[in-house]
Amino acid sequence: MAGRSTSRHKIMLLLLVPFFLWIFAFLLLPAIMMLISSFQNEGGQGFTLGQYVKGLTHPLYTAAIKNSVILSLVSALVGLAVAAIGAYSFTTFSEKARDRMLSLSNMMTNFAGVPLAFGFMALLGTNGMLTLLFKQLGLSFLVFDLYSWKGLAWVYIYFQIPVALLIVYPSLYAIKEEWKESASLLGASAAQFWLRIGVPVLLPALVGTFSVLFANAMGAYATAYALVTNNFNLLSIQIGGLVAGDVFPRVELGSAMAVILFVILVIALWINEKMLRLARKGGGLP
Amino acid sequence: MSFVRIQNVSKSFNDNRVLNQVSLDIEEGEFVTLLGPSGCGKSTLLRAIAGLNAIDEGSISVGGKDITNLPPKKRNVGMVFQSYALFPNMNVYDNIAFGLKMDGLKKHEIRPKVEQMLSIIDLKGKEASYPSQLSGGQQQRVALARSLIKNPTVLLLDEPLSALDAKIRRSLRNEIRLIQKRLNMTTIFVTHDQEEALTISDRIFVMNHGRIEQAGTPNEIYIVPASEYVARFIGNYNVWSREQLKGLPVHGLPEQGDMFAVRPEAIRMDTAAGDNENGVVADGKVSYVSILGNVLRFEVDVAGLPVTVDMLSGQSIEHLSTGTPVKLFIPRDEWKSIQKSS
Repeated sequence: MAGRSTSRHKIMLLLLVPFFLWIFAFLLLPAIMMLISSFQNEGGQGFTLGQYVKGLTHPLYTAAIKNSVILSLVSALVGLAVAAIGAYSFTTFSEKARDRMLSLSNMMTNFAGVPLAFGFMALLGTNGMLTLLFKQLGLSFLVFDLYSWKGLAWVYIYFQIPVALLIVYPSLYAIKEEWKESASLLGASAAQFWLRIGVPVLLPALVGTFSVLFANAMGAYATAYALVTNNFNLLSIQIGGLVAGDVFPRVELGSAMAVILFVILVIALWINEKMLRLARKGGGLP
Repeated sequence: MSFVRIQNVSKSFNDNRVLNQVSLDIEEGEFVTLLGPSGCGKSTLLRAIAGLNAIDEGSISVGGKDITNLPPKKRNVGMVFQSYALFPNMNVYDNIAFGLKMDGLKKHEIRPKVEQMLSIIDLKGKEASYPSQLSGGQQQRVALARSLIKNPTVLLLDEPLSALDAKIRRSLRNEIRLIQKRLNMTTIFVTHDQEEALTISDRIFVMNHGRIEQAGTPNEIYIVPASEYVARFIGNYNVWSREQLKGLPVHGLPEQGDMFAVRPEAIRMDTAAGDNENGVVADGKVSYVSILGNVLRFEVDVAGLPVTVDMLSGQSIEHLSTGTPVKLFIPRDEWKSIQKSS
C-alpha cells in the first residue's frame, strides 16, 4: 500500500517537470542573469554598484521611478474605489445579472496592452471620435490630452477597474445582512455601519487588491509605450529603452532598474502583509 | 392595555401571503414564544416588530406607542439572531458597547454598563476576546448582552439557540429565562422546537400559515390542543379521525367529535383488562419498543392503526415486549375532541 503511494507520488512529481523546466528557463534563469548583469560594468565586465548608483541618483531615472509610483498609486486607489462600489452594487443584482456583469468584467480584464491604447486613441486621441464630438457640441472642457500624465492615468484606471472588481467582488459576500440589521437596531446609520464594521472587515481584501493593482500598474509597459512612447518618463518604459536600446543598448543599467522595480514591488507586498496582519490582529478576522 | 399590541398585521412577499391578519397582545415582562414550523411566518412577524420587514396592513404598538412606521433604530427593540451577528472586527467589550456608542454616550458612562452586562452574562475576563475566539454559547451570550445593554422595551430572540449543541442549548435556555426574569424584560422568542417553547415560555402562540392557530400557557397548549395541527405539532400526540377508528376493536368512544387527540403518556397499557368503566378500551399488539431516557415508547398496532404509548421506565414492564397482545385504556377526560385542520 505504502509502495503504491510512493510510486504514485513519483509519477506526480514527474508530471511537474515540464512546468519547472519552463519556470527555470523563462523566469529563474533570466532573473538570475538580470541580477548578475545589474552588478556589471557596461560591456558586461567586472563587479560594480555603479548601475544602482546611477539608477537611484540620475534625475532621468529618479523621475521615472517617481512618475511610475505616483501613477500606480493613483490608478490603484481610484480603480479600487470605483471597483469596490461597483462590486457592492453587483451583490444586490439578480444572479443572472451578476453573472453577466462578471463575464463583462472578465472580458474587460483581457482587453489591455496595445489594443487598449489604440481603443483610447480612437475614442479620445487628438482626432478621436469623442474628442471631435465634444468639440462639435461645444463641450471643449471635456477634451483633454490623452498623451499626457492625465491621459495615461485615465487609461491605467480603466484597466485597473475590472481587475479590482473581480478580486474584490467575492469578499463583499463576507458582509452579512444580519450585521447591517443588528447595527441598524443598535442605532447605527448606513454610513456608520460601513465606517465601523463594513470597511474594517473588508480591509484585508481591499489592501490585498490594492497591492495587486499597484504591481499591475508598475509593471505595465505595452499600454504606456503604445500611448506615449518615450514622451512620458515611466520606469517600465525606461527599462524597455535601456534593454532594447534607442541607440545603444545598456543592458546592465536596464537590469539594475528592473531590480529596483522588483524591490519596489517587494516593499509594496511587505507593506500589504504588515497591514493584513494588523487588520487580522485588530479585527479578529479569519 | 397590553404592552405589545399587534393588530391585524399582514405581509406578503410577491404573491405569497406570509402573515395573514395576525393579532396578539403581550403583557409587560411576559416571555412569549412564537412557535411553528419553517415558513409559518414566525420570523417574519418578529422582523416586522423590529422594523426589518415593512408590513402591508395592520399596526404594531409597544408601550402604548405606535411603532408601525418607525425605522428600526427608533423602535428601541433589541434583537438576537440565530447566527449571533456579532461584529467580527470588534472584541467582546466593543460589541457590547456598540449601541451605547451610537447613542453618543461617553467612555466613562459606557464602561460601568458594559461591566454590569459582562457580569450578567458571566463573561468577565473575556472583554478583549474576538467573536472568532469564543464558543457558540459565549457568542450568543455576547449577542444577548449587546441587545440588553440599551435597555430595550422589547427583546426579540430569533431562534437564538438553534445553532448550538443540545447541552449548551439547554443551559443557555435556562440562563436566558433567568436574565429575562431578573430584568423583567418583555421578550418574544421564536422557535420551531416545541420542547424549548414549552420549557421557557409564559405563553405560546402556535403559528400556522401566517395565522395564530392557538395561544395559551405551555400547559394549556400541551394538555388541550385546539386543533389537529397543534396536536400533531406539539409532542407525540396520537391523532385519529372517527373515520379511522370505525370497525376497530375500540370500545367506549364518545358520541361527539370527528377528530381526537390522546397524549401517549395518558394511555394505560397492560396484558389484561383493568378498570375501564369511564374510558376507551382498545386491543392491540406491541410492534416496537424504544428507550427515550427515562421514558419507554411503545408502538402498538390496533388492527392496523398505530398507537403511541409512553411509560416511565423502571416500572415492571418486562412482559410488554414486541409481539405481546395488550389492552389499552384511555380515561375519558384524556380523550380530547379537536378541530380538524385543512
